[in-house]
Amino acid sequence: MKEGKSVKLNHQQPHQNGHLSPSKFAKLFDPEASWDKDQLGDVLHWIRQVLGLACGFLWGSIPLVGGIWFILFLALSTGIIYSYYAVILKVDEEEFGGHGALLQEGLFASITLFLLSWILVYSLAHF
Amino acid sequence: MAYPFSDFKYSDGLSVVGISFCTAIVCEAISWVLIYRTNSYKNLRSSIDKASKKLETMKTDSNKINIKKSKTKKIDRVETSLKESSRDLSLFKFKSGGVVALVLFVVFGLLNSLFEGKVVAKLPFKPFGLIMKMSHRGLQGNDPTDCSMAFLYFLCSISIRTNLQKFLGFAPPRGASAGLFPMPDPKTS
Repeated sequence: MKEGKSVKLNHQQPHQNGHLSPSKFAKLFDPEASWDKDQLGDVLHWIRQVLGLACGFLWGSIPLVGGIWFILFLALSTGIIYSYYAVILKVDEEEFGGHGALLQEGLFASITLFLLSWILVYSLAHF
Repeated sequence: MAYPFSDFKYSDGLSVVGISFCTAIVCEAISWVLIYRTNSYKNLRSSIDKASKKLETMKTDSNKINIKKSKTKKIDRVETSLKESSRDLSLFKFKSGGVVALVLFVVFGLLNSLFEGKVVAKLPFKPFGLIMKMSHRGLQGNDPTDCSMAFLYFLCSISIRTNLQKFLGFAPPRGASAGLFPMPDPKTS
């Protein structure tokens, strides 16, 4: 059996989104921190959204035109998410439902947000 | 109507996004009034949270130790409880679903009357298949990169509403989704 890091269930009151204390921010980059399933899911979700928005603005501003850039965004954001939880946080993905569940967190909302910002910035800035 | 972005060729796109954003807020307000503030919802949600966390703990323990019969029965009992609560939650939400759907439909009709046949944005890619049908809905001309209101509204509906729900803490608990479609336990060797 793989000796993974055991997850301690966080019995504290779940922190409110947007009200992270400084110690909570430090936790975002701490491989020793223990993660509740909901907490990690929320963090991955919001990272996905920020990436979608940022890439949409960037792609739209340059502008990058063509369907290939959509695929590139998918690969880039997925790579960043994977690097974050597997390399930086070093969590055992099996304890959170596997790679599939973690990589899917916030994916569809991120895609629509990316397309929305890409289309809008492209339309407003270049016509 | 004169406003700061009116000199952009595709400022209509911003109008669609702005209206969609207001609609999302209205929908969440309706959901809050009909569902989230009620005691029965809060009770349901807390029972789902407790059951799913308990299930997680029990499964983690059972992976490490040999599975006992009593352990299996307990897991089954918690799983059954989780499924029942999840089903109740789904029925509960179905109540306000109708009102929210009505609001979304009315707003879509409004936007349709305002922007029918108008190109509200330019796509930076060539859509195909179902996406093209949506993005080119109601538009004349042959340019596939023309974007209609319908496609923009669809993108707004999903991205804005999903993130607004997440931000306000109205997203469905993860245990609920896990309970509806229980996945077979991955066997660890």
